[in-house]
Amino acid sequence: MIWTLLKRPLKRELKVSDEKKQDSPILIWLTVVAFLAAMIAIFIYVPTEQTEGAVQRIMYFHIPAAWLAFFSFFIVFLSSILFLWKKEREWDIYALASAEIGVIFCSLVLITGPIWARPIWGVWWMWDARLTSTLILWLIYVSYLMLRAQTDAGSMRARLAAVLGIVGFLDIPFIHFSVLWWNSVHPQPKMISEEGLGKGMDPSMVATLMISLGAFTLLYLVFMGQRIQVEKMRDEVEQLKKDHLYSR
Amino acid sequence: MNNMGYLFAANLFVWGGVFYYLFRIKKHQRSLQNDLDLIKEAVEKGTEGE
Repeated sequence: MIWTLLKRPLKRELKVSDEKKQDSPILIWLTVVAFLAAMIAIFIYVPTEQTEGAVQRIMYFHIPAAWLAFFSFFIVFLSSILFLWKKEREWDIYALASAEIGVIFCSLVLITGPIWARPIWGVWWMWDARLTSTLILWLIYVSYLMLRAQTDAGSMRARLAAVLGIVGFLDIPFIHFSVLWWNSVHPQPKMISEEGLGKGMDPSMVATLMISLGAFTLLYLVFMGQRIQVEKMRDEVEQLKKDHLYSR
Repeated sequence: MNNMGYLFAANLFVWGGVFYYLFRIKKHQRSLQNDLDLIKEAVEKGTEGE
């Protein structure tokens, strides 16, 4: 038992919070409702695309996942800058949480993309500028998480991770413009096109994409809340061990 | 073109990924809460013996 580690009585006050960590039920239920609405829109409301058929519906997962991956990495970028500037652990926690969630969304992009590509292009993968740069983005943030996992906790780890989190974000503008700069097989942006915002798509498709994007954004917020809570609990455990057990 | 199998596979990966991550976070939270409870118990036993 852990309490046998205590050789003598404690004088310091116990800092463990008695209140159990609370989830945000409103946000969770809002996310569930948003995803139900998204499923109805994706599978019932929106008409089947004429040339690609049912497989085009993958785009209503693929595009929001891509946007959320980019958004997650933007939060890593922002939090990393703020961490280097203010040296507050809080920003390091936000960066770590967002990087992990970004890797999850980026993985979904790299999985759903090839599943869509196989029946449309006839191949799972092409070493196209956008696909390759997205894979590089995923590798950068996987290495960010590996760096954090393999290095001893401390300000040096947080600083190194912050630098990688900032540098890694520079790949995102490259990914966005890659389809415009080079002859890419990847579809051109239709939501943000020269014709105007959402003008390159049928209104029902735009609506479905927006609902799905909303649901994914809420999911990001749920994940962030949960992941931040894990990191704060870990800090609390480490602090208590240091204060009450290791110092005996 | 139909390709319902591909649509199903994509859905499976998306939902599988989402629930896997959610369960992983919950598992970490339970484990850390358990650690917190154990430390609290240990510290309380320590102060009782004072």
